[in-house]
Amino acid sequence: MTIIEDRPGSGPSTDATGTEVHQERLMAMVPGPRPRSWVKFITSTDHKQIGLNYMVTAFIGFLVAGLMAEAMRTQLIVPNNHFVTLEVYNQLVTMHGTIMLFVVLGPFAFGLANYIVPLQIGAPDMAFPRFNNLSYWLYLSGFLIMLGGFLTNNGAADFGWFGYAPLTDMVHSPGPGADMWILGIALTGFSGIFTAINLITTVFCLRAPGMVMFRMPIFTWNMLVTLFLVLLAFPVLTSAFALLWSDRHLTTHFFEANGGGQPLLWQNMFWFFGHPEVYIIALPYFGVVTEVIATMSKKPVFGYKGMIGATLGIGALSMGVWAHHMYTTGAVMLPFFAAMSLLIAVPTGIKFFNWIGTMFKGVITLNTAMLFSVGFLGIFLFGGITGVVLAQPPLDFQLHMTYFVVAHFHYVVMALIFGVFSAIYYWFPKFTGRMLDERLGKLSFALLFIGVNLTFFPQHDLGLRGMSRRIATYDGNLGYNFENLLSSLGAYITGLGVIPTIINVWKSLRTGAIAGDNPWDGQTLEWATSSPPPDHNFESLPPIRSERPLWDATHPDELTRAGH
Amino acid sequence: MSTISASLLATDLGSPHGATADDHWVHHLWNVTYIIGTPLAAIVLGLIIWCLVRYRARPGDTRRPPQFQYHIPLEVTYTLVPLALVAIVFAFMYVPENKITDLPKSPALTVTAEGFQWGYRFVYPNGHQETGSYSSVTNIDDETDLPTLYLPEGKTVEIKIVSDDVVHGFYIPGFLYQRDMIPGVNNVMKINVTRTGRFIGECDNLCGVYHAYMRFAVDVMPQAQYTAWYASQQPGSIHNWTPNATPSNEQAAGK
Amino acid sequence: MKREWHTTVGAGIFLGLACALYWFLSYEDSGTVMLLFGAAAYLMLGGFIYLQWRRRARLPRPEDKEDGTYEETAGEPIAFFPTASIWPAGIGLAATFIAIALIWGTWYWVPALALLFGSIIGFAVEAEAPDDVPADLEQAAHRQDSTIEPKQIAH
Repeated sequence: MTIIEDRPGSGPSTDATGTEVHQERLMAMVPGPRPRSWVKFITSTDHKQIGLNYMVTAFIGFLVAGLMAEAMRTQLIVPNNHFVTLEVYNQLVTMHGTIMLFVVLGPFAFGLANYIVPLQIGAPDMAFPRFNNLSYWLYLSGFLIMLGGFLTNNGAADFGWFGYAPLTDMVHSPGPGADMWILGIALTGFSGIFTAINLITTVFCLRAPGMVMFRMPIFTWNMLVTLFLVLLAFPVLTSAFALLWSDRHLTTHFFEANGGGQPLLWQNMFWFFGHPEVYIIALPYFGVVTEVIATMSKKPVFGYKGMIGATLGIGALSMGVWAHHMYTTGAVMLPFFAAMSLLIAVPTGIKFFNWIGTMFKGVITLNTAMLFSVGFLGIFLFGGITGVVLAQPPLDFQLHMTYFVVAHFHYVVMALIFGVFSAIYYWFPKFTGRMLDERLGKLSFALLFIGVNLTFFPQHDLGLRGMSRRIATYDGNLGYNFENLLSSLGAYITGLGVIPTIINVWKSLRTGAIAGDNPWDGQTLEWATSSPPPDHNFESLPPIRSERPLWDATHPDELTRAGH
Repeated sequence: MSTISASLLATDLGSPHGATADDHWVHHLWNVTYIIGTPLAAIVLGLIIWCLVRYRARPGDTRRPPQFQYHIPLEVTYTLVPLALVAIVFAFMYVPENKITDLPKSPALTVTAEGFQWGYRFVYPNGHQETGSYSSVTNIDDETDLPTLYLPEGKTVEIKIVSDDVVHGFYIPGFLYQRDMIPGVNNVMKINVTRTGRFIGECDNLCGVYHAYMRFAVDVMPQAQYTAWYASQQPGSIHNWTPNATPSNEQAAGK
Repeated sequence: MKREWHTTVGAGIFLGLACALYWFLSYEDSGTVMLLFGAAAYLMLGGFIYLQWRRRARLPRPEDKEDGTYEETAGEPIAFFPTASIWPAGIGLAATFIAIALIWGTWYWVPALALLFGSIIGFAVEAEAPDDVPADLEQAAHRQDSTIEPKQIAH
């Protein structure tokens, strides 16, 4: 049990390099015993431990769902293949999507935010530490339950990750796998809502003195907007699941056309969640990339306030674009959603130019973290442009539900996976106190970059040729063969590309070079404490007078100027 | 088989030509997107790579770059330019969108297309049905036993799209167009095919185990030929492309 | 706290406007209802923060001031931060059981609910300060981890 008493007076001290900086002692506290060894995995309420739990679990989810993807690509490597049965293929499609979205990308960002956001705003912990722990347990339990579907008689859920009603009803999906899918996602949804409440409270109420809203680092801002979206989107999803469960078990007919229900209601509810979800998983990695680019270019974020405005704009517009997934249903207002979907490209474009402005005239250290961030920019740019294609209803009528959509979507999410790797390489020294190996990291980057492009670029053309998505096997006469072969080879290269990073983490935990507090000449507060940070994060904090308090402390001759 | 490959959608370097009266709109929109998107992507990608090459740190580099952070005119420019570009795209898109989704006042023919697990049924005004579905002997490489929708060339046809059970798709790549088949929703689309030939269509909404096998064909013939075909069909008759008797026949033959 | 309520109320107003626009363009029920509820949720959150700000006589907290210093916060308990707790894991396990009970029903409800209520009681009781905490801090502990008192402004 720890009660942080206060933040008593200040005094000058010296930083690691010996220059005298005006730092202030932060807090006295009544320390309680922290749990050790494996017990801390279960009971610790330390935001850092919980953040690591999240990230490790999410990475395991990434490997599991990645193996599913390899199995699917193996099935599609030649036409008329029988590597897996049709039933298993549908289960793989569903669980790959579900795990990647609900277990990997979102929760990895939540874990990262758990670790980094309190450090970046100078807080001793999250606002509700035990709630934080509860979020993790709900998340893990949701993950295990949805994965447990594979152990049931009829296998896991097999109707695609957006489970269009009425395929999800008791008649068409009788097994418990569908129920486990529903409850697994509902549990991770609750976990997300709790994390959102927790982090928003932390950001609103636990900032260090002087850390006004417009001095928070971009990553923290992006997480704040992300979690606002979580608060809006996940309750809708959870209520949709409540209705679906009741359709399945209580013989209601919310989504049953023959009982007076409306299958389109499910699509509306799901995508009202589903499109903000895309930004829920994207915005955190925009933040990661911003931090990495600014630090590695040794410059402040170009257009800091414009960047925040763009993030807020994306957040706001993302609530009004859900039905662009439903153009072909013939039951939506096409011009409204087309206009909103096109508009959302504008703030994303602003971000791109801000990133370029940050690199412009910098001194760019092209290490692995920066390489992954640049890879993110390239891949996301392409995913964004095909997004503009799909936002136009006439083109969507041609391409909806074909491999073009698969390619577009995977260009976006693989960019986010590059964000995940960038975050790992950037913050690993802070998590562990040791550096990751650069050579293995660059090997990993090269394989992933080649693999991702080789996997997903041919799929654009497959979509244009009319190959529809989620088919377990395809006709050998329609000209799909060669590009599917390429795509599968790319998938194997991508899979290989993950291995160096795993080896790297494993090895560097023991033998990596000692990182020190601030290996990258960082600008934000997480680098102002030891690596890994002590209990309750800070022994002392520099005064916060700009959005780069640590830069101001370590470069007192060139303070960050106030904004416009 | 080769005729089918030939009539398949050619991707035309991503700027496709279809086989309907509306496809020039799609082609036109692709061109607009290319003209705007390609230079934009090239500029952005070029700037990123140029920055990386020009401003990379040399080994032992301890320079500190200039710490500038804001440039209001520049920021305003790169907000307004993308805004203008998406406005242009929207303006180009608005008319084609209405043209494509418009419904004809007096169609030459109205056909009902019904999707079910896992096949299609096409019902003609006189009650004649063309139907076919997945059966245990269906070979995905074989396009000859697909349920076929017969259409006259160059006539505006109205297709009512319904589903019997779950959500299916009604997608013909060669027509650059699709509609979802949703139970409880009566979708209507129009199509005016300007070229005779055989086109493959498919279900593109995951609809269960044999989703991949749920396909159909569209046979477009000249009006005279179509009229002759239509006249030869008994009102209310059913033509089943995949008679369920097939497996048992084979078994019988085996015995 | 001004920025905080500006942001949240702003989001609520935006969603309200989007809701109105969407309704009059499309007359579609489900989307309108969802946008309306989103707007209501944000206005509720923003309204709460606004009331807190009013209660603090609209004065900025040290973290809202460009020149806030650590001295201003001296002597103020920040919050109650427990070091470890087994009860969240208990509630998590209970949630797993509830999920299983919702799928297979019947007797799974018994361990599920027992574990749930046991863990919630444990969670609540745990917030009591233990004996070894100095007396002047005990009061802070009693406020539990969910309350963060408005800090005194330097006189």
